[in-house]
Amino acid sequence: MKKFKEKISSLIDKNLNIFFPAPTVILLFIIVIFPIIYNIYMSLNKWRIGLGDPEFIGFQNYFEAFADPRFWNGLKVMVYFSGLSLSLEIAIGLLIAVYLNREFKGSSFVQTIYVFPFAATPVAIALVWRIMLNPQIGVLNYVLSLFGLPPSLWISSTSTVVLSLVMVDVWKWTPMITLIVLAGLKSLPQDPYEAAIIDGATVTQIFTYITLPMIRPVLITALTLRALDNLKEFDIIYTITQGGPRNASETLYLYSYKTAFSFFNGGYGSALIIIVFLIVLLFNVIMNKVRYRVEI
Amino acid sequence: MNKKLIILSLSLILLIFFSTTSFASVNWRQFEGTEIRLLMNKHPFTTFIEPKIPEFEELTGIKVNMEVFPEDQFRDKRLIELNAGADVDGFMIMPGQAKLHYWKAGWLAPLEGYIEDPQLTEEDWNVDDFFAGPMGGASIEGHQIGVVINAEASLLAYRRDLFEEYGVKVPETMEELEEAAKFFHGKEIDGKKMVGIAMRGMKAAATSQFVDFLYSFGGSWTDEEGNANINSPESIAAFEFYGKLLREYGPQGPTMYHWAEATSTFMDGTAAMIFDANVFSSMYEDPAESKVAGKVGYTTIPAGPAGKHPHVSNWSLAVSGAAPEEKQMATWLFVQWATNKENALGSLLTGVPAGRESAWTDPKFAEEDRTPDWTAASLESFEIGQPDWNPPVLNVSEIRDIIGEVIVDAIDGKDVKASAEDAARLMNQKMEK
Repeated sequence: MKKFKEKISSLIDKNLNIFFPAPTVILLFIIVIFPIIYNIYMSLNKWRIGLGDPEFIGFQNYFEAFADPRFWNGLKVMVYFSGLSLSLEIAIGLLIAVYLNREFKGSSFVQTIYVFPFAATPVAIALVWRIMLNPQIGVLNYVLSLFGLPPSLWISSTSTVVLSLVMVDVWKWTPMITLIVLAGLKSLPQDPYEAAIIDGATVTQIFTYITLPMIRPVLITALTLRALDNLKEFDIIYTITQGGPRNASETLYLYSYKTAFSFFNGGYGSALIIIVFLIVLLFNVIMNKVRYRVEI
Repeated sequence: MNKKLIILSLSLILLIFFSTTSFASVNWRQFEGTEIRLLMNKHPFTTFIEPKIPEFEELTGIKVNMEVFPEDQFRDKRLIELNAGADVDGFMIMPGQAKLHYWKAGWLAPLEGYIEDPQLTEEDWNVDDFFAGPMGGASIEGHQIGVVINAEASLLAYRRDLFEEYGVKVPETMEELEEAAKFFHGKEIDGKKMVGIAMRGMKAAATSQFVDFLYSFGGSWTDEEGNANINSPESIAAFEFYGKLLREYGPQGPTMYHWAEATSTFMDGTAAMIFDANVFSSMYEDPAESKVAGKVGYTTIPAGPAGKHPHVSNWSLAVSGAAPEEKQMATWLFVQWATNKENALGSLLTGVPAGRESAWTDPKFAEEDRTPDWTAASLESFEIGQPDWNPPVLNVSEIRDIIGEVIVDAIDGKDVKASAEDAARLMNQKMEK
């Protein structure tokens, strides 16, 4: 018995590289890798949820997607929404971080207040926004009228709905970018700044030639992190508009959800989500390449 | 030997005696200790029954776990849980929306066996007391798959105080409806700029109210061969009328109006009329929530070129066909209790249009009924209503979504004919029966 125990412990000792990560790898396989593989398999099937067994149909779901105007609409909304909200979040987040990165009275208080939107539960704040954005009973049109501006239809018009959602997303997520960039700024060396000031550089010059190049890796990391979530933004859009009016704010991600769980078309929904997955993957590969190039 | 025989026959007699007495009434404690889980929609009936659950638990010793979700999320959640084989024993369902799919998937237990079993159903529960129309809606292929808790029709609710003050006629035809909406739209009343009429305009959600206009204009979802008929001239006229009403006399941004937005606008006192489900009168008449409580009149849908054709739908309580048999029977006891005469009357008194005739004719209801025009309009709608409030297909949500696009286009003032043609083509392609 003792010998057996010794045998086992020596086996473990010799193969630490296998045994130590094993629990994580197994868990990861069950909760991440298996669902992805299964999803790919499902995307090759025709399957009405609850009605009979899936029927293998090859790549037909993908061909159907490319011929589906709602798919292209979803892609367009996704690019529009993510492109606009990500660039605004990075730009504003960076500017605010630079502004906050100095000592002033009550700076820690301001920084604490400032992360509130980011810390709040998305669905809860989305519900509040949904009411504020209602053109008939919402408060935002009242605010506009205080400044003598004409009322807007906000989320109720196909032309302004995505902009309104971008506004909510920027409000909620810019603080996260700021926090990351701020941490990056605080860790920057001070010598280049001192040298620049002695040489008589202007504030703009310092920002463009010193801060921006040094902070770029951090910015790209922040962008990657945010993009991961943003490209599959769900809670804010689903809670506020459910993709409406018509399909004007229906991202590909939302469309795949509806296809699978409202239309119970499991196979087609899986195919759509795989396409979203590929887009997110592609984006990350590109961002990784860019980041390494910058670091070298 | 003889003694033994006597004892044996005596015990046999006793046994027969006891078993026959238990046939006479339901043993409510036969599933004591069982736990059942119910998925419910956030609905006035749920609000009524939830606080009464301890009564049922005390009567039966069955533990009830009730989970309540808002409608859209409720539907998705129910589908996901049932498909995953989760522990669901009973749920609310709108048969007109989901029965075909759920029946084919085996998620609906046929109830007629339980209803006829005197050990499981009290005699005075009386299935014949329910309105035949809605109960027919809650059955499929000759099987009863739910018990109606709410017979629903849509009514035109209007501000009686304003209609009287300005001498406007309560609309009986579609032309009069448009005139009344036009009259009030944009008028300043109590410092508020009024809206003519509030209705749903949000894509798929609007179809269940639009249907009354569709049929009253002589249109229909599908023709006799089962092909899409939403592009017929009558159907197109209905789309155009509905779209014009909301575009010209409706609230700001009507294409994002679900029932929550429509009822809020009406209860805020901003809208002169609203067309939506009769069940919402319980909200309009609640002084804590509504500024128009006590000022609302009710009537049926105005008559269109083809007459007056409201739909009747219903919410039912169903037992999951996928649950173990003992849990099914325990859930049936709950369904039976929740739909008994006392609870039907109780829910009607809180404004839920109950499915039992006896509740509507109860003197207690007549005495407490503060909105007799609501009662009359509801009963008339149940009588003349047609049950096809949804296209007769398996994938109802998907088809409603397609039809909803035409409604949005009509509201936005786009080319309705072209939009209806496109939608009809797509509908024919996607309908599954």
